Amino acid sequence: MPFLVPPELHCLARRGEELAQLSSTSPDLEQSKLSHPNETPPLSEFTSKNPANRKRGRASINGRTTATMRFSISRLLTAASIIFTPLLLQSSPVSASSSSQEPALSQSSQPASASTVISSDSEYHEQLVLRPLPQSALLASFNFRSNISVSAFEAQNFRFFPRSLGQILQYAGTRELHLRFALGRWDAESWGSRPWDGAREGGTGVELWAWLDAETDEEADQKWLILTNALSGLFCASLNFIDGTRTTRPVMSFQPEGDHPNSTIANTHLLHGTLPHEVVCTENLTPFLKLLPCKGKTGISSLLNGHKLFDATWQSMAIDVRPVCPRETEEGRGECVLEIEQTIDMVLDVDRSKRPRGNPIPRPPPAQDLKCDPSKEYDSDNACFPADYALGQDWSLTQIFGKTLKGTCPLTDPNIPPVCIQVPNSRHIFTSLGNKEVKDPSGNSRCYYLDPEGSFEMVLPPMSKDGAQHTAESELVKGETPLLYAERSFMGHGQERGGVQAILRNPSWDTEVEFVYMESLPWFMRVYLHTLEARINGQKTSYDSVVKEIYYRPAVDRARGTQLELRMVIPPASTVFLTYDFEKSILRYTEYPPDANRGFDVAASIITIRSPSNGKRVPAGMRTTSLLLNLPTPDFSMPYNVIIFTSTAIALAFGGMFNILVRRFVAADEGPEVSVKRMRNKAVALGRKVAAKFGRGGKEEGKKE
Amino acid sequence: MSSDAPPSTAVSAAPSRKEPPPEEPHDVRRRSYVILSFWLIVLLLGLPIWWHTTAIYRASLPLDEMGEWADWKACRPVFPLRIAVQASTMQDGEGQNLVKLTQHALDDLNDFSWHHLRLDLIPPVPVEPHAAEADVALTIRLIPGEPMEATLHPHLPILDIKYPPNSPPTPSSSSSPLATFIARELRSKFAEERAIISALLSKELRPARSMQYSPTYHLTFSLFTSGSTPNTWEIENAISEYMRPVLDILRPIHNFTIDTQVQLYATPGVQSQSLEKEDLASFINAAEWPLSPSIAGAPTINFVVYIGNQTIGTSSKSWMIPQWGSVYLLDSQENPVGVDELKQPLLTFTSHLLSLLGTPESGSLPLKLSTLSRVRSADLLLRASSTLGSLARLSLALPSISIPSSVADGVSKTMKELELACQNLGNVQGLEHARIAEQEAEKAFFEKSMVGQLYFPDEHKIAVYLPLLGPVGVPLIIGLINELKLWRKARKG
Repeated sequence: MPFLVPPELHCLARRGEELAQLSSTSPDLEQSKLSHPNETPPLSEFTSKNPANRKRGRASINGRTTATMRFSISRLLTAASIIFTPLLLQSSPVSASSSSQEPALSQSSQPASASTVISSDSEYHEQLVLRPLPQSALLASFNFRSNISVSAFEAQNFRFFPRSLGQILQYAGTRELHLRFALGRWDAESWGSRPWDGAREGGTGVELWAWLDAETDEEADQKWLILTNALSGLFCASLNFIDGTRTTRPVMSFQPEGDHPNSTIANTHLLHGTLPHEVVCTENLTPFLKLLPCKGKTGISSLLNGHKLFDATWQSMAIDVRPVCPRETEEGRGECVLEIEQTIDMVLDVDRSKRPRGNPIPRPPPAQDLKCDPSKEYDSDNACFPADYALGQDWSLTQIFGKTLKGTCPLTDPNIPPVCIQVPNSRHIFTSLGNKEVKDPSGNSRCYYLDPEGSFEMVLPPMSKDGAQHTAESELVKGETPLLYAERSFMGHGQERGGVQAILRNPSWDTEVEFVYMESLPWFMRVYLHTLEARINGQKTSYDSVVKEIYYRPAVDRARGTQLELRMVIPPASTVFLTYDFEKSILRYTEYPPDANRGFDVAASIITIRSPSNGKRVPAGMRTTSLLLNLPTPDFSMPYNVIIFTSTAIALAFGGMFNILVRRFVAADEGPEVSVKRMRNKAVALGRKVAAKFGRGGKEEGKKE
Repeated sequence: MSSDAPPSTAVSAAPSRKEPPPEEPHDVRRRSYVILSFWLIVLLLGLPIWWHTTAIYRASLPLDEMGEWADWKACRPVFPLRIAVQASTMQDGEGQNLVKLTQHALDDLNDFSWHHLRLDLIPPVPVEPHAAEADVALTIRLIPGEPMEATLHPHLPILDIKYPPNSPPTPSSSSSPLATFIARELRSKFAEERAIISALLSKELRPARSMQYSPTYHLTFSLFTSGSTPNTWEIENAISEYMRPVLDILRPIHNFTIDTQVQLYATPGVQSQSLEKEDLASFINAAEWPLSPSIAGAPTINFVVYIGNQTIGTSSKSWMIPQWGSVYLLDSQENPVGVDELKQPLLTFTSHLLSLLGTPESGSLPLKLSTLSRVRSADLLLRASSTLGSLARLSLALPSISIPSSVADGVSKTMKELELACQNLGNVQGLEHARIAEQEAEKAFFEKSMVGQLYFPDEHKIAVYLPLLGPVGVPLIIGLINELKLWRKARKG
């Protein structure tokens, strides 16, 4: 019986027992007993076997029986009745594209391209790319990548690839795995396009998708259950709550990143689950670091610090496992490897990070330190418009991360610079001695080869104020314009009617953008698909011109959520408002979480951009923010109120009926006299009686009688 | 009381109170019927409905039988141990008498009910005796020679006994030194097994060292280094050279999966240079070392090679952690760590593995293995039956716990398997039945729907019942009391 318990808990719980019994029994060490200080007397059979003591993290994925439906858009619009055509759930055989491995020769300012220049020969590599962003923000992208050959993986001889994860993948038959822990919002308007083109980004909370090897859907569900339970133990996250209602099987949105032979891809199932409510925190970072060969002790991972990481404005931790096969060369095909890529991207608020820990309360800076925008006409000594770019953003690595970078991880490929920073070459940067600086010919990036032993410090000094020539361009590398801007919000009113609006904007002036918009909504949002509407630039236009294809899988109450995938094309320089209505359903009393009035998190929608690809990673994507849905929430003392109310009604009815049946009705002067005096007399007589009994004895009473 | 004369001040009150007309007898009777029918409805309809809707489902468990299993009254477990005696050099009569005498001597000595040693004379086989004969636990080969001594064959379950020519009994004699000698030897060969099973039987002394039985074990070999080197090791070759042979021998009883890992920058739980015995307990840094627990229901046995600058106080370099695995401190800075350097750690691990599996320490390997399978069967039987006993006690101790029918099914299945295991003790099916029995018993015991209703507090019940029963119950009870009073008065009057 598989008990999947978080390893820490398990280890700690077990260690107590083991240590109590620890005895050294090596053949060359004399027999001796070690007693543990916390040795407890053996518990009785009954107490130690109390079923409540055993933790169970089992969830069941309900079988999917309802047929999947696909709307044909033209029919939806032309025909009076909606015709559903069953969709064959075969995923088309995916060509083993290895474009992510293609050495990117173009030097763009993206961290993605800065580190794709890596052959898969080296077993391990790591790199940190820093990019100052406008408004005193700093993007730090950590990337760690290690390999294991497929034969070593199957023989379970792990070296740099983490065994704990490898064992899970093997047991759950996982071909490719993607796991995301994310927090915060990427401000695309001022920061530009996302790191890695959004390919390493997840929606707020936890997101997991994997290609599982399975013959049937049921087998895939079984393996998915194993995978989520095991990962939840490994990463200390509530991944085991990804049940049937939170699992979808995306059809258009995801493509495998790795190289899968065509024979295996036919038998793999893609499952996707999200936990928007999960709060990502330090307990998720610790297991993440444990997977690294250098464990955060040396190399760039020594900078990672939970206090700073989870204080970031936006952060995303990603784990991607995929098989990578080398290109076919003349000597034949090399051996395929299984590659694990761990990525942490975070946008730090420089001002907040620099705040000393002992004095964390922000105070307004003195007037002379304000960073103002002098181009505004009202800029004067008394008026200040905050500068859009961090005029003279100045920091040092130690200030920002609260730790120093300790040397390099000795396992890493020495040809890859461990630290890069993307600022114009004209800016001065001071580093500690013993490091080699290499400036990129593009003028916007420089990298450092570190001294393996010493600690590395980098200082970005403030820019001189008097130089009139400094502009935003001289200080920052401007981020690329993203292919698409997306935001999503709730509409609607009251406790019953709700609506969702997604605003999707194509900023390009000449190219149209094609993407897949995917929503995975909880079952208690009852979507009315007929209200789905797309408006371009505020005008109702022909629906077909925007939404090319719809894949819709309706929700089943308490069994699965709504899955909605739209393939859309947005013409250049236009904004699409995508809206649909939904009904908020009322949950059962026990289905509300303890903080029901906070609202229910609705997972981020996933946008996968298909074109234009212009030489970038194919699965460029983004996530919108997650939403907080307010459901009609009952008063939770309600059951008792109901009980008391109905009981009172029953009691009234019953009492009246019973009295009518049982009592005898007589005239008013025939019944026993009911008056205050009479009652007083009665009470007095009773009092006398009692006094007589307990007072002087029964003699007086006898006389009176 | 009502006949009390009103005090003088109350004269002005109703001057003439009329008595109501006497009640018709049929009215009185009707009222009694009304009250009676209300009570009948409450008792015959209300109570059963209430009982039925609020009762907790408790499948009936065969508590007595379960208790009998826990106390070993239901089945007396006996391992039949057939000992074949091969006396090729003796005459038939001599041999038979020797076997008879030895059997007598054994029966006299034997005070352990789980073992039943039975001797059989087998015809001399000209070729090497076939050791794989399934039901023979041990073959005794009698060889003439001096002095009288017994030697175990290292690879086959054969005990060679040399005997001086005068020691075998004549067909008529009633005692023989050889018979006593054989009986004593046999007894000592099974002494350790006896001790282990007795320890299992006395419940306080559970075997501390060995793992719980499982058909499959995961063996995890980990190299922990305090720095960044060495970070490679030739563990695969070392395992296939030094450990694989033993694993192959154990295959009929256990399956093994092997995985290896390298972990750098590992700081142990104890930082001091020289490790004392007390430090060994906290050496494993469970919080930081990725020694994840079992997956797929099979337990993991950890073998840790630690390369650092620490030494143990004594000359030894390794120690075993009961029910968990073993640690070896290796002193090596070579990268990669070669097969030769791994020889000593792996040999130590192999011997630790055997004791973690519960193999006895004495005897030849085939004897050890057959003992292991018997000990495992006994262990599983005892576990399953004691779980049954616990379940019986639990259901008695907690009357408010619900017992779903799946638990009852599990219990009956467990008892059936226990029965089968008890009958087939000592062979492979017995082990298999015992394993199923143990699994079923655990499943029944840890049925999660049993605890659902356990934490329903009494305050809630009062809050639910009081508003209803108060206003309805009070008129009913007062009506009944009045009626009873009237009835008594009528009888008196």
